[in-house]
Amino acid sequence: MSLRAALAASVGGALVLAAGLAGAANAEPVCTHDLRVLAQPRDGLTLLEKYKDEFKKLSGASFDIDYLNENDRRAKSRADASTVGKYNVYYIDEANIALFASSKWVVPLLDYYPKEYDFADFDPGRQKVATYEGKVYFAPLTGGGDLLVYRKDLLEKAGLKPPTTLDEMIADVKKLNDPDHGVYGIALRGQRGSGANVWRWMPYFRGFGGKWFDGNKPVFDGEPAVKATQVYLDLFKYSPPGTKTGSWDESTGAFLAGQVALLVESTPLAGEAIDPKVSKVVGKVGYAPPPSPLTGGGYGHGLAIGAKGNKDEESKKCAGLFIAWATSKENEKRRLDADQFGELNRTSILSSDEFNKKFGADLGQALAATAKVTAVNFWQDPEWPNLGDHWGIELEELVTGTRTDIKGALDELNTYAKTLVANRK
Amino acid sequence: MRIRTHLPFVFTAPTMAVLAVLAFVPTIDAVNIALQNRELSNPDSVYVGFANFRMLFSDPRFLNSVWVSVEWEVITVAATMAVAIPLAILMFEATSPRARNALCVLFIVPALLPRVSAAFVWRFAFHPLFGLAVYPLRLITGHPIDLLADPHTAMATVAIVDVWQWGLLFAVIIVKLLETLPRQPLEAALLDHARTWEVYAYVALPMLRGALISLVFVKMVESLRAFDLIYVMTRGGPGISTETLDMYAFSQGFIESGRISYASSMAVLMMIATTAAFTILWRRVRRWQEV
Amino acid sequence: MARGVSAFVARAVIAVGAASVVVPLLWTLLSGFKNRVDIVTPTPMLFFHPTLENFLYVAERESVRTGLLNSIIVSGCSVLIGAALGLPCAYAVARYPMRFAHDIQFFVLSLRFLPPVAIAIPLIVIWLDVGLYDTRVALVVTYSLLTLATTIWLAIPAFKRVPAEIEEAAFVDGYGPYAIFFLIALPVAWKSLIGAVVFSFVLVWNEFLIALMLTTSDAKTLPVVASEMTQLGRDVPWGILNASVILLSLPPLLFLGVLSRFLSSALKTRNQG
Repeated sequence: MSLRAALAASVGGALVLAAGLAGAANAEPVCTHDLRVLAQPRDGLTLLEKYKDEFKKLSGASFDIDYLNENDRRAKSRADASTVGKYNVYYIDEANIALFASSKWVVPLLDYYPKEYDFADFDPGRQKVATYEGKVYFAPLTGGGDLLVYRKDLLEKAGLKPPTTLDEMIADVKKLNDPDHGVYGIALRGQRGSGANVWRWMPYFRGFGGKWFDGNKPVFDGEPAVKATQVYLDLFKYSPPGTKTGSWDESTGAFLAGQVALLVESTPLAGEAIDPKVSKVVGKVGYAPPPSPLTGGGYGHGLAIGAKGNKDEESKKCAGLFIAWATSKENEKRRLDADQFGELNRTSILSSDEFNKKFGADLGQALAATAKVTAVNFWQDPEWPNLGDHWGIELEELVTGTRTDIKGALDELNTYAKTLVANRK
Repeated sequence: MRIRTHLPFVFTAPTMAVLAVLAFVPTIDAVNIALQNRELSNPDSVYVGFANFRMLFSDPRFLNSVWVSVEWEVITVAATMAVAIPLAILMFEATSPRARNALCVLFIVPALLPRVSAAFVWRFAFHPLFGLAVYPLRLITGHPIDLLADPHTAMATVAIVDVWQWGLLFAVIIVKLLETLPRQPLEAALLDHARTWEVYAYVALPMLRGALISLVFVKMVESLRAFDLIYVMTRGGPGISTETLDMYAFSQGFIESGRISYASSMAVLMMIATTAAFTILWRRVRRWQEV
Repeated sequence: MARGVSAFVARAVIAVGAASVVVPLLWTLLSGFKNRVDIVTPTPMLFFHPTLENFLYVAERESVRTGLLNSIIVSGCSVLIGAALGLPCAYAVARYPMRFAHDIQFFVLSLRFLPPVAIAIPLIVIWLDVGLYDTRVALVVTYSLLTLATTIWLAIPAFKRVPAEIEEAAFVDGYGPYAIFFLIALPVAWKSLIGAVVFSFVLVWNEFLIALMLTTSDAKTLPVVASEMTQLGRDVPWGILNASVILLSLPPLLFLGVLSRFLSSALKTRNQG
């Protein structure tokens, strides 16, 4: 070979090598367009937005999150998923997973959740809630059950021990209720919604032995429902104003502002109660599992891959990568560092030393105890959101006093449930 | 008036055609959809004739929403005029022209705000725990009151915002109208030892009768657009005590189960009722104005 | 003595009215500069540590930027269409006796009777079927109905007020009818016409229901974005909400002067006409 040819060959070879290396370094970006996410306001997601650059480097695109309150988010994600599919990733919850999965509005997640992100690390309870008919559809962002959260100082002052039964709790609420000094006995949810007032009402319903359906037959309008509603309405007399049309924000807000003696609410409240940025009652709070016979409302929210929004395999992979990154160990660690108690889901994080140091052994014990009484309180069916929301409106009417016939409301709900089942298919 | 020219045709025909299409296509389609059983999540649907309309009349929530809408109309129209007329008279009587002009500019501001903004400003002011408007009440009684959560006061509270926007605007309009009145009849009445309020009641206002009736009519039409306020302040709650017809239609079509056909049947009824009512009223108004 | 007292009462009532406008708005503006902790206190605080964070957050938020852009484009385009088609039409109706003049006026007016819900619902279905749901085009087309109706309705009296003599004189001078419109009628009536156009702009800028129903993420206008923020629920960011409401309300208020003068002139000549 002449010298020139050898030179040319080696230069050519070097170029090819360089191109190959460059190609390896700049692997095909997984995402070709920015992701659209429809979600509920969550501290964890707000924190995530600070790391958009990291995701961009990882995938080649950025993401935009639209936030809506729970009721609107449910309505909108439903409307979007069934019509135009503008959003790639949906925030879905335990109540509508059945509907979304059976209508094929979301895709099974694990097909697109890269192995290195370790889905099995999630708390088993959350994994179960995220599963429908054997397939996992969302990666958890939050979840848990119920806790009885109470003011140690107020109970001590009145000489009371934390209640372990419902009757004890009702008695305590009445004793501790002191509106003239700005303290209310309890805080409940009045705002309509299968995830709002109905959610708070169901522990009583299930606690008294209520059942939603027997196969396809509605069996809920019996004694347990009537009794549960009566107890709920009764207790509302001792709940702060604003809760009659309020949900989680109003009742926990009142407690954190020091206006409530005790309440039964979802577990994230525990983390908020010890956060000096939002709580005025740090150091005065105690935890216990909900008093029997109340069952804890097991729930979970997370991110799922939209079917209509991601028509081809590439976009599904991109959405899957985003969800995996958003729920990765690194991001959960960041949430732990930011004291975001309610946004932790991975067993590795929940059982870490740091967690125990931050939140104390007390809380850990209460969480373990409440896990035993956490149950699925709602009707696990695609039609649940419709039924639950319908009851939510009637319950809000009962709470605010625009109607007073509990049995009449339940009968109407019964008729509605029958039409829901009849219209199926 | 002029030579023959194509100008009138050229200028009006295309515009009217566009308007006609824009207006009639949706209204006819509304009837079309109302005759089906379509839902947002399901592209197939069949024609079901008048089934939706029949369902409406046995739906207690629908009947409630009609009642709430009527209540809302009456309350807001009456309250607006009750605020606008006295305020205009007071402004006319008791302020210098310069102060009056400044006030007029100020009082137009609420009407310019998007309904959403006005709704939020007042929702914030009425917040039971830290709202400015209820703060004095809280100081006096020691208890926070939640006006928007009480079925008895919720509608009145939202109405306050509506009157805030429209009543003040109407006051400005009426003041300007008063300014254009010829002075002689008023002065003559004063010379006849009429008291001030009598001058207004028997001389000034009747002279403005046509304009006042027009204003009432405009308010009646505008009150039907209260959706924005109610959506932001109460969503039709507490319960269904502020659920007007358009709020209920929206709920059915969107928030609840996406029952577009059912919502459309409500919209069709609303269209028919309002167009008929306002056409009749308009004819009357014209006749009174010509008098 | 009685006169004095009643004058005092009158002034007091007017003062209350004025306060009802100034105080809530100022309070909202003030709260836009507060940290959340200063808002959520039982006693309203006048003195506090101000912060620009809320306004910055609102200005930086992608959805707010999109909403603002969409509002500008949608309102601007529909107002332009309304003016381009509506002004000539109003002129023709005002100046040329036509068989249908009265009917046209009534038809245009009756469009204002339509409840927005009634046209929004079928439009959702239409735009979905055509594939234009949640696009600015769909909004512009829909809003053009509003701007056309409003512009025509308000411009007819404006054109009627143009003195016929001026037009007659121009006609005698050899101007053709189109020239009269563009070179005579428009310039003479332009003050009132600007008022009419600005009025239709404010109308569609503030429009909420139709935008809410016809958009979901791409074409959301600013009122929809603002309402979504006010409905966040959890940890309501009051400071941010106040800031976003202020931002939303600024554009219409910029036209306050124009509209105020338009209102005055419309009412003054109304009774003389």
